[in-house]
Amino acid sequence: MNFTKELVDDFALKLLIGLREEENQMVLDEFEEIEHHMDLICQIPNISSVEPMTHPPVLFDETLREDDFVEEMPVEDVLCNAAHKNLSSVIVPKVVKE
Amino acid sequence: MNYIPTIGIEMHCEMKSHTKVFSRARNTYSEEANIHVSPVDIGLPGILPVLNKECVRKAIKAACILNCTIPKYLYFDRKNYYYPDLPKGYQITQSHDPIGQNGKILVPFQDGDFEVLIHDIHLEEDSAQLEHIGRYSYINYNRSGVPLLELVTEPCFHSKEEVIAFLEYIRRVYQYADISLADATKGQIRCDVNISLSKDDTLGTKVEVKNVNSFANVGAVIDSEIERQLHLITCGRAEEIEQETRRFDEESGETKRMRSKADAIDYKYFVEPNIPKIRIDEKMIDEIKKEIPVLPRERFLKYTKDYGLTKVDAQTILKEKAISDYFDSWIDAGIEPLEACNWIIGPILGYLNKEGMKISDFEFSIADFQFVLEKLHDGTISSKQAKEIVGKMLTEHASPKDLITHDFAQISDEEVLNQIISEIIERSSEQLEAYKNGRTNLFSYFVGQVMKETGGKANPIKTRDLLEKKLK
Amino acid sequence: MKSAIKKLQEDYAAHRVTPLQVFQDTLLKARENQEKCNSFVTLFDHVEESSQRGDLQNVVYALKDNFSTKGILTTASSNTLSNYVPVYDATVYQKLKDAGAVLIGKTTMDEFGLGGTGLTAHTGYVFNPLDTTRQAGGSSAGSACVVSSGVVPFAIGSDTGDSVRKPAAYCGIVGYKPTYGLISRYGLFAFASSMDHVGVLTRSVYDAAMVVDVIKGKDEKDMTSIDSSSMHLVESLVHANHQPKKLFYIKEIMDITKYSKPSDELKMTFSLFEQLTKKAKEKGISIVGESFDEDLLRAIASTYTCLTCAEATSNLSNLTSILFGPQEEANDVNEMMMAHRTKGFSSLIKRRLIIGSYVLQKENQEKYFINAQRVRRLIVEKMNALFSKYDGLILPCSEGGAKYIDESKNHTSDDLRILENHMAIGNFGGFPSITIPCGFVKGLPVGINITGKVLDDCNVLEIAARLEEMIAYQNPLVKEEM
Repeated sequence: MNFTKELVDDFALKLLIGLREEENQMVLDEFEEIEHHMDLICQIPNISSVEPMTHPPVLFDETLREDDFVEEMPVEDVLCNAAHKNLSSVIVPKVVKE
Repeated sequence: MNYIPTIGIEMHCEMKSHTKVFSRARNTYSEEANIHVSPVDIGLPGILPVLNKECVRKAIKAACILNCTIPKYLYFDRKNYYYPDLPKGYQITQSHDPIGQNGKILVPFQDGDFEVLIHDIHLEEDSAQLEHIGRYSYINYNRSGVPLLELVTEPCFHSKEEVIAFLEYIRRVYQYADISLADATKGQIRCDVNISLSKDDTLGTKVEVKNVNSFANVGAVIDSEIERQLHLITCGRAEEIEQETRRFDEESGETKRMRSKADAIDYKYFVEPNIPKIRIDEKMIDEIKKEIPVLPRERFLKYTKDYGLTKVDAQTILKEKAISDYFDSWIDAGIEPLEACNWIIGPILGYLNKEGMKISDFEFSIADFQFVLEKLHDGTISSKQAKEIVGKMLTEHASPKDLITHDFAQISDEEVLNQIISEIIERSSEQLEAYKNGRTNLFSYFVGQVMKETGGKANPIKTRDLLEKKLK
Repeated sequence: MKSAIKKLQEDYAAHRVTPLQVFQDTLLKARENQEKCNSFVTLFDHVEESSQRGDLQNVVYALKDNFSTKGILTTASSNTLSNYVPVYDATVYQKLKDAGAVLIGKTTMDEFGLGGTGLTAHTGYVFNPLDTTRQAGGSSAGSACVVSSGVVPFAIGSDTGDSVRKPAAYCGIVGYKPTYGLISRYGLFAFASSMDHVGVLTRSVYDAAMVVDVIKGKDEKDMTSIDSSSMHLVESLVHANHQPKKLFYIKEIMDITKYSKPSDELKMTFSLFEQLTKKAKEKGISIVGESFDEDLLRAIASTYTCLTCAEATSNLSNLTSILFGPQEEANDVNEMMMAHRTKGFSSLIKRRLIIGSYVLQKENQEKYFINAQRVRRLIVEKMNALFSKYDGLILPCSEGGAKYIDESKNHTSDDLRILENHMAIGNFGGFPSITIPCGFVKGLPVGINITGKVLDDCNVLEIAARLEEMIAYQNPLVKEEM
């Protein structure tokens, strides 16, 4: 994949991040190196036949939580860090429907 | 040119449980905002999901009912996207190995059944609720983390009627199996509808309509989307049918474009690392299977074929599992199915409707009804009386035994009855003569007179016997 | 066995000091340390005696600023959380409170735990207490500083690649990350969930064992936590029977000829390691070289970058300023979230998130992310095969002592990638892993790392304690103990 300034901005946009000109350039500069190192992964022989490891190989407890005990937080705690609230709701500038 | 629509459905249904799927906040609807919330549901830094066993069991139950393959391990995935109703910035769902795969189910439809192919069924969490007022959107996190069951069908429907029959049926199945209350009026069911048109077996361009919130709207979406696509085809603008996502605009009754395939969101799914993979025990599956009740389709067949109920009556009884179970308990008690059906659909459901009660609140014992039916069968009371007795029993909470011995105490004493009969015959010489001359249908006139004289309390069988003797 | 915690407790028991005196002295030292190193995001003016008669009653400590503490500002050293006051307690914090430990402040870190320098906090650089022109190492930079400087006997950190063990090495202290799941992560701000560990920083192996005994345990709020009620770290240290132990090092890392221009520091570090090997042998600990696929070794850093950036992309998606964090004025909600993230994240985080997003993208996921998960398995399986023959892996933690804060003074070389990143193996496998100081290179402390198999924490600690005794490292800043 050829990484371009536009592509970097597109990635950033989808992460809801704005990049300054120099930040964009830094990504481009770093990327070549990162891609080179990423390629090392793909060069491991027979890599595609290995099962991906998603969790550390620890024997976890598989007992699931019973559906009985209720634990809730007071509404004040829900709202206390929110910048804007009204009555008992969090409010944000209107969400524009897609 | 005949174009056939092909439709696939994604049905999201809120599940029934005490607590949410990944947190200990209550899974319940409330008018008050943000009161059933835990740190997990609002995605505070540092929180971790803790999976609810009941939700897993119910999801497996649904997978079993839908004859799905169940994987050996339970996995969850993150679906990553930004939206103000998604506090963590990702939804925990199942994408790469859902709990039920490749299933099928027979759905009753018009004069027979049809088979619906299930792509998969999976467990996930609901998002928060947004309400748009003026310049602001209000966020209520009560719904955030509520367990959702998403059922994805193959594109196997070809008409609106089939789709609605399927949705109605699944809703009923969920209710019967105690998986969900499946109450559409509370927004517990939401559907995505995929529609394409084609002349032959190859599928046409698929259009997805998201977030349709009622079955009626699913019907409207299918109608309007078929119409829209057909219109484009007949105008020679078939190429304008794009693979895209649309939404249903209730006001106009039309679908509106949301985004094209090119703008499709890449959800960057990956395995949720905070939930270890959990072995799904065969023993657990067997246990869960035993909890599955006889489903409405099987009950329908039994009611109509074995018991001889009309389809309409069978459907009335099947509307709710509790009613159907109640009906079955009458049958188990040895009551004739048709009789049971008439009594339940008539007086009992009528009473419940009037009182706004549920069958679960109905406190009268079957033995009481059996007593009344017994008296009816042995002629102690007439069917009219039986109805009255039941009516009084329900409204006045009286015991049928007392009712029958007091209010409906019959005159069975032959002496008393003979006395009355004699008096009637004396003053009805005209009718008596006509009767003797062959107008035998006048017999009922005499019965009626006896009843009138006794205020309906004369034992009808005894009255007939005695009358027959006297009129000979 | 040396232990600052035990000494403090003995002092309390003998009434040589009162908790109040200790607290005053601690806060005074903490303020000095804050001046010198910038170790704290939050430092209390005043702390209360604990009435909890637990195993750590009135023992003072510091907590990394990525643990949720109810009512106490918790920023993860990020502008995106510069005003965030949590409403719930992390399990670790709760357990320490229950044990009577007394928190004095929240320590500075690399923003969200990404980065190993201690230079990316929103409150500025963290300086190494042994040489303030040097980095403390990261990401648990402040936690390492306050322990190294003798402010507190222990501090809590978190470790995703080496974030407890690297700063411990640079600051000349012990850094221990137990088996994954031994300590609950509930309340630890996630960076890369499948590799995040809670860890401790102390000045002795014994203290590390003491603290972990208190904070470990199955937690119903963390599905990946495990029951370790039959594991007693202190007890097992005390009753160790000094059996012979077998450790291995990775030949490919310790072969000086593999480095095209080995620095003096590297040569000195290696020579320290050699001396250690000889001395250890006399004490019944054999250290031998084993070969490890170089393909896999070279892939460690990339695998780490790929997996952590991907998971971080998702984990940091809750930072939108809707429910917490400083909010920017905007006309619509998307603009608002974007303004918050653009302003709040440092350049480094932004770049890492873009990488994470890139490797998770549908078209790239198999090639990068899934393949990285596969490499992770290969490395872990190779380690497990070696653990069937050995008690553990032993390696130097880095090329030499702490790096300069002025990055231009640090020589970088691709040769060093493996040596500088190998401790991530411990996170790939969830292995217990501990770093202890093993001497000085050019006046700066350097550490060695011992990593063992999953749940073999007692064994790893025993080996570390034996080596610790043998090395007899003297902390230049804390003379008072032992």
